[in-house]
Amino acid sequence: MSAPIDQAVWTNLIEMTGGDVEFVDDLVDTYLADGERQVAALREAAAGGSADDLVRPAHSLKSSSLNVGALDLGALCRALEESARTGKVPDATQQVTAIATGFDEVRSALLAERAERAAG
Amino acid sequence: MTPPGGNGASLPGRILVVDDTPFNRQLLARLLRGLGHEPVEAVDGRQALARLRDADVPPIDVILLDIVMPEMDGYQVLAELRDDPALRHLPVIVISGVDELDSVVRCLEMGAADYLPKTVDPAILKARIASSLARKRLHDAEREAVDRQAASNEVLAIMSRSAFDLQVVLDAVVRAAVRLCRADYGVAYTLDGDAYRVAASAGGTPELDAWERDHPIRPGRDSLVGRVALIGQVISVDDVLDDREYQATPGQHVGGYRTLIGIPIEEDGAVSGVLALTRNEVRAFGDGERALAIGFAEQAAIGIANARLLETIERQRGQLARFLSPQVAQLVSSPEGEALLAGHRREITAMFCDLRNFTTFSESAEPEEVLGFLRRYHATVGSLVVEHEGTLEHFAGDGIMVFFNDPAFQDDHAARAARMAMAVRERFVDIGDEWRRRGHVLQVGIGIATGYATMGRIGFEGRYDYGGVGNAIILASRLSGEAAAGEILLSQRTFAAVDGQVAAEPAGERQLKGFSRPMPVFRVTAGSGGDLVVAETATAAEAS
Repeated sequence: MSAPIDQAVWTNLIEMTGGDVEFVDDLVDTYLADGERQVAALREAAAGGSADDLVRPAHSLKSSSLNVGALDLGALCRALEESARTGKVPDATQQVTAIATGFDEVRSALLAERAERAAG
Repeated sequence: MTPPGGNGASLPGRILVVDDTPFNRQLLARLLRGLGHEPVEAVDGRQALARLRDADVPPIDVILLDIVMPEMDGYQVLAELRDDPALRHLPVIVISGVDELDSVVRCLEMGAADYLPKTVDPAILKARIASSLARKRLHDAEREAVDRQAASNEVLAIMSRSAFDLQVVLDAVVRAAVRLCRADYGVAYTLDGDAYRVAASAGGTPELDAWERDHPIRPGRDSLVGRVALIGQVISVDDVLDDREYQATPGQHVGGYRTLIGIPIEEDGAVSGVLALTRNEVRAFGDGERALAIGFAEQAAIGIANARLLETIERQRGQLARFLSPQVAQLVSSPEGEALLAGHRREITAMFCDLRNFTTFSESAEPEEVLGFLRRYHATVGSLVVEHEGTLEHFAGDGIMVFFNDPAFQDDHAARAARMAMAVRERFVDIGDEWRRRGHVLQVGIGIATGYATMGRIGFEGRYDYGGVGNAIILASRLSGEAAAGEILLSQRTFAAVDGQVAAEPAGERQLKGFSRPMPVFRVTAGSGGDLVVAETATAAEAS
């Protein structure tokens, strides 16, 4: 598995905001807070056995993950979203667990980047 | 606001970002702000529609719409927008992932203008927003043009429907001016004596209206209306509080207005009114609004001119209606009417008819009988005057004087008079018979004379008559006096004029009061013995 955050997308994000790292920090905070909510929603949906309930949180986490550079996590979310749309996800719990793990890795990477920047 | 790196073509817009993912909203909002736009956020379709339909907040120019959302998704939003005439035109840019192209196609089919990849690229965002904004602006400009045209048409329609009702016209003008020039308050003042008074207003509170009504404005530099009246030109005051000469009147405190524009309502070069528009914020009226306001002031001017014309016509009609047949009253109610009333010399035929034995009858009959008879006599002759298009000069007891060829021209005036006389005599056969049975002998005698007379308004203020002065009139009256019961006597000139149209014969020469020499007199023979009217059709042809 490659790095949780794609460097090119990340750099692009910084550039898009005109190098406003404070805003990027805010954006990351928003991503993390919302991501936690979506992961929780995915867990609940998997436990409840409803494929429909998986669609929206998977979709939501997918799009923000892709924008923040978490391409692998985004891919996991996309796969889950697509199978959830078919109405049948036999391995929902496993997929959600993988997403939760992926999200934790992304969080660690993002927070490490911030700490590094603060130190540097 | 200046879009950074903008090429000038991309004007700032108010963009509604509809996305349930906070990260996406935050990022898009930030990028939009960076492009100089004003982002407005909504977390789902329901909130977005609520924002779009809220009339109390500034309108949205472009919508950035996510598809997958809780509550109400992007498709539902598109369907709602499509069904809402007020929102249908709003450009919608669908935000979509690369894996959602099927959804994009569906959205475009549902009326979306464009789509934006979910992995945001600022350059694409900028281009798409600019293109949608241009589309929205074009639509707005078209709609504004249509609105202005519609309002202008509405005012014109009202003017043509109630051309002479100044109040209706001014109300419509002020209402339209306030709406289209985006003013808070508008007043049309009209000159009344030496001051300008409120004639119509729109948009104001009752207090402000009352204050303006109670404070007529005189020409002078201390007020907007006063200045417009003074110099007869459009005056703008961008902020009354910054204007040294403007006296912040109690009216300004009541109204709270800051920016003003005043347009003269001109009539023949004089300022007969002022159209004033005000805004409660400091925001100068633009060139387009100024041009519109001038157009409305011109419509008000036409309204005022029409009302004045009507006033003149009504006055003249009032003066004339008592003695003119409807056709003639209509004719005289023209711009030349005043000149006709002032006096003019013209060849006319005068017909005078009165009753033989009327004095005896009125002494012997009951007063009610006399009045009843006169009413019938007047009604009969009156309807014949109208039928023959004569001008009734007066009813005086049993005497009736009618002119022909004035004020309306009639080539066959002498023949008309003769024909009307015969008609009176014919009708009188029945009336006379009826009274004979009651023991009264009542017969009509008629005199007709043709010649020049001075015609016009005679009398004094409040009691005018339309009448004439001339020998022909006196002669007609004398001939009527000479006429025996049932006889119609003509002067020589009348006889000559009707020759070949009405059968008549010489009836000798008579010495008449007021005439030094004996006058030749002619008697109408047609109609009295059966060989009635000669060549009715010939005279009609001649008259036309």
